[in-house]
Amino acid sequence: MADRRTRGTTGPEPSRTTAARAAAIAEQLHHECGLLLELFRKKESLSPDLTAADGRLVSVPPPSSQLDTRDKLWRLHSALLQCRGLLERAITKEEEELGGAEKGEYESQRKTVRDRLSLLLANTGELLKATDGTAVLTPSLEGSEVDRPTVLFEVKLWIYRIFKELDYWTKTAITTLQALPSAAARERGRSGGIRRKRSARR
Amino acid sequence: MMFTWVFLVSLFCMGTQDRSDPDDGVIQCGPQNMTETHNFTDQRIFLTWEDDPSCSAIQEELIYEVEVLRAGKRVHDDEVVVTADHIGTTHSWNWTSPLALECASHSIRLSSRYKNHTSPWSQEQTIPGTSPSDLPKIFPQDRVVEVGSRVSFCCVLEPGGRFDKMFIKGYNSTDMNTTKISNQTYVLTVDLNTPPPYICTDVICNTYDSGACVYVGYPPADWGLQCETRDLQSVECHWNIGRETHLTGPRATAYRLLGRLCSDEETKRRSCKQKVQVNVGERNWTLKAQNVLGSHELTDRADLSERVHMFAPKKLTASTVNSRNVSLEWSWTIQEYNQLHIMCQIRLRHGGQTHMINDSGVGLNVTVLRGLMPSQRYTVQVRCGTEHHFWKWSDWSTSTFRTKDDLPDSLDVWIQTEHNQTIIIWKKLLPNQSHGDITDYEVTWRKATERERQNKTIFPPEHSVALSLDTSEEHIVTVTARNVIGSSSPAAITISTLHPGREVESAHISGSDGGFNVSWSVNPAASCGYVVDWCPTFSICRVEWLKVPPGVTNARILSEHFTDGVRYSLSIYACTQGAPELLERREGYVRETKLPDNQIQLKWEQLGSDVQVSWTAIAPRNQSAFIQGYIMYYTDNSTPRSNLNRSFNIGPEATSLTVKNLPISSYKFTVKALTSAGECGDTSFSLSMNSLTDKMIMAVIISLVSVFSLLSLVTILCYRHWTCVKLKIYPPIPKPVLTDNWLTSLGEHGRHWLHVDSCHHSETDIVDVPQLYCKQPPGNGDISQEERHFVSAQTQSPKGYYNQPLRSRAPAALTLNTKNISSPSGLPSVPHRSVFVNPSYDSMLQTDDHSGKYRPSMDSVSPSSPELQDGKNLDGYQPQSPVETCGQTQTEENPESPLSCVSTYILIPHSSSK
Repeated sequence: MADRRTRGTTGPEPSRTTAARAAAIAEQLHHECGLLLELFRKKESLSPDLTAADGRLVSVPPPSSQLDTRDKLWRLHSALLQCRGLLERAITKEEEELGGAEKGEYESQRKTVRDRLSLLLANTGELLKATDGTAVLTPSLEGSEVDRPTVLFEVKLWIYRIFKELDYWTKTAITTLQALPSAAARERGRSGGIRRKRSARR
Repeated sequence: MMFTWVFLVSLFCMGTQDRSDPDDGVIQCGPQNMTETHNFTDQRIFLTWEDDPSCSAIQEELIYEVEVLRAGKRVHDDEVVVTADHIGTTHSWNWTSPLALECASHSIRLSSRYKNHTSPWSQEQTIPGTSPSDLPKIFPQDRVVEVGSRVSFCCVLEPGGRFDKMFIKGYNSTDMNTTKISNQTYVLTVDLNTPPPYICTDVICNTYDSGACVYVGYPPADWGLQCETRDLQSVECHWNIGRETHLTGPRATAYRLLGRLCSDEETKRRSCKQKVQVNVGERNWTLKAQNVLGSHELTDRADLSERVHMFAPKKLTASTVNSRNVSLEWSWTIQEYNQLHIMCQIRLRHGGQTHMINDSGVGLNVTVLRGLMPSQRYTVQVRCGTEHHFWKWSDWSTSTFRTKDDLPDSLDVWIQTEHNQTIIIWKKLLPNQSHGDITDYEVTWRKATERERQNKTIFPPEHSVALSLDTSEEHIVTVTARNVIGSSSPAAITISTLHPGREVESAHISGSDGGFNVSWSVNPAASCGYVVDWCPTFSICRVEWLKVPPGVTNARILSEHFTDGVRYSLSIYACTQGAPELLERREGYVRETKLPDNQIQLKWEQLGSDVQVSWTAIAPRNQSAFIQGYIMYYTDNSTPRSNLNRSFNIGPEATSLTVKNLPISSYKFTVKALTSAGECGDTSFSLSMNSLTDKMIMAVIISLVSVFSLLSLVTILCYRHWTCVKLKIYPPIPKPVLTDNWLTSLGEHGRHWLHVDSCHHSETDIVDVPQLYCKQPPGNGDISQEERHFVSAQTQSPKGYYNQPLRSRAPAALTLNTKNISSPSGLPSVPHRSVFVNPSYDSMLQTDDHSGKYRPSMDSVSPSSPELQDGKNLDGYQPQSPVETCGQTQTEENPESPLSCVSTYILIPHSSSK
């Protein structure tokens, strides 16, 4: 508790800065995701009617108002980590099955999104460390291997869904990260007993 | 009865005989042990079976009928003929379904036929179709088809699903046809006649979330295989890509050289390499290109020992570098090259120039480059190939080196005379002449008759020196350039006692293409050639020159300093053993440019109906082209659309032009200079011509005005100098000398009026009038206005009244101009008092006591008093108003007029006794 209090006096400043920076990166990534989706739609001539609604590819605990700042951050970080794993696989699969053509704007944008996502993850990881000081866990993606499609049409839909998922989570990241400083301030205002209880539960 | 039994027995026998026929067993012949296999990817069905043992009896061929049922409907049948010698073996049949096997259940059944015997259908072998799911399923998936194919796709709807649409992206609907093969299954047949717009083309059924992807492409069609060896240990083949296959990734074309698969990197380079025995003579080298849709074989027949494509030389360096030659060395990465007859090309680049040198030898790895320039950086490239059976050049290897410094070349020296100084000037040495950085120049000079030398050191970038030499003596000047290696050979020039450039006529020369082509006459004195130098004619400059070898009498003069519109002077000298000798001179423009407007100073004059225009010649300094003449245009301004009238065209020396017999009007004249650049220097003026009548009227008016002005001047002068004029014309009237007796007697006889005319009577006449004595006032000169007032006041009464003549009594016979009686001192009547010595007269004027005999003054009597205004009542005397007096004097008598004469009445006072 004493440790938390110490961070409470010195931690929020860099944390606020990092949160703002992370939110800005998330905004940029969200914009770039939109471009990537458009380029993919154009490249594969996907219909605007395409829903590709086959459940979420990223699995995280459901959102809840009961979640505190750290849990929200952890949930976001975990989702983004899964997104990056999915994106890497999508790129690999796409190169294998559909690749071979000359690299163009789409491929360039795809790389930009991948790099920007890594940067966002580095920032959210930093925020997580600043919040709790514990090491950031990397969620396992082994389970999702089963879902990897085998036929090309499904590969396309799968990639599209991954991009959509990424788009969704970057949008969530913007909201979460922008709300982070005020939420943290509210929580600091509360008594420390709640934290103690949660620590005990863990 | 017996017959009946016989008949029955016969029938039985016949029946027994029939059963014993070999064909009796064939009836049982048919397939057995049927085995069905299928491949969904290929949509292929395999069927194997054996003959029933009873079939062995068959001596002829046996036919099996195969029937394929899709969803219970017969879609294909086939026959398999089994010859007698194959009866008893295992038979097989395969078939590729045009529709994916997943689309519906497929059943295969067999029956045998021998002669007229047909076995019943065997038990069906069934391949079940796909089971429906919650989304429509489309088959086949990921199919690769060739452009131009007809392909069928089926859509298996979800349970209870309703068919809506089915299509393939990027193709026209006219190429598609949809049929229903069952309640749940629909088939789309499409002719894929064109290459696909996408890498993988989607087939959609009902919803965009369900579909299949199909590759549409071509089999490989590469060409141009060419094989060679580079390392003499392996074959390396190259080819050209043919038609685009539209297949990528794992479906892209794979290449095999001599059966070995080429790597992806090699495939990207369209090159494949394999270790082989090179010295095997001529043989075929084969590359097989293959993709899902087909394969293509390329062959090249060659002896690799005659197709050696060498690698580029390695470690190319200049091993020994001198000022004018260099040894160049390199090495070979392939040891076998050292035994080859090699020829190499050495490309030497320097200062934008390229030289190619060839060399050859066994295992050639060194060469010497000669004839290089000192202190120069060179870029050298080397490439090699086999000398025997040359196939291809290797790539270039590149290196650079710099040759060592050497003594500078001799300087090119010339002279220029400027303000009694001799300027020794030399051209800067170019890098290929200086052979290293020039540290300084040494200039030495001596009189031709002496051996004593003087010298001076000049440091770059200066490249001239001004010397004050004795012009009466010939001098020899030498200049040397020095660098770190040493001095150049001295360049000498002799300076004559008489400076060159005198007493030679200059001729015009025209420039062309930014320079001058100058030629001159041969001169025997030019033992060492000629020198042409040039400079702007009218500005201070540093002379440029060109030395021409002996025997050449023309030169093309070019300079980066040449400017259009600037006149240059070119001098041609003979190069002699002594001082240069001036031969000819030229003046000209590299390119003549037009003179700016308004350059010509114009004057003009109307001479009757002619107009003469003259101008000052433009100074040569201000000319940007040679003036060949002048041209004048004039237009009539009164008729705006009048044509431009060309006037005259005259030579350059002329300075005036006259246009004759011009109608009276307003004209605009424009004078232009004629040059080779065209008409230029436009200068204009407008002139309204005056008629002769107008001129006469003008002359009359001017004369009249002149006369009037002259008269006015004379009048003013006379007026101003009236006193003088009067003295000259009317000398002063002598003042009458009055004696007391005369006055007394007069007084006794009562009052008399004296009418004095001071102007119109001769002195004699005046003398005849004894009553008045008019004396010239002292200092008589110009009389001012005040003086005139004063003059008019001389008869003023002590109380300020004036004597005024009565108009009715104003005879011009005897008047006195009161002006002439005025006093310049302004004092009233004082001098006159001394002049008028008559005591009675004096007393009357000055003594108030006598005023009792006088009439009342204005102080006591109103001017409007009828008694006083009536002159009759006053007996000739009339009291005066000052205002009236003044006004009347000025208006009626006009005292301003120098010629007016005023008659004045002098009142003789009454005797007090009366």
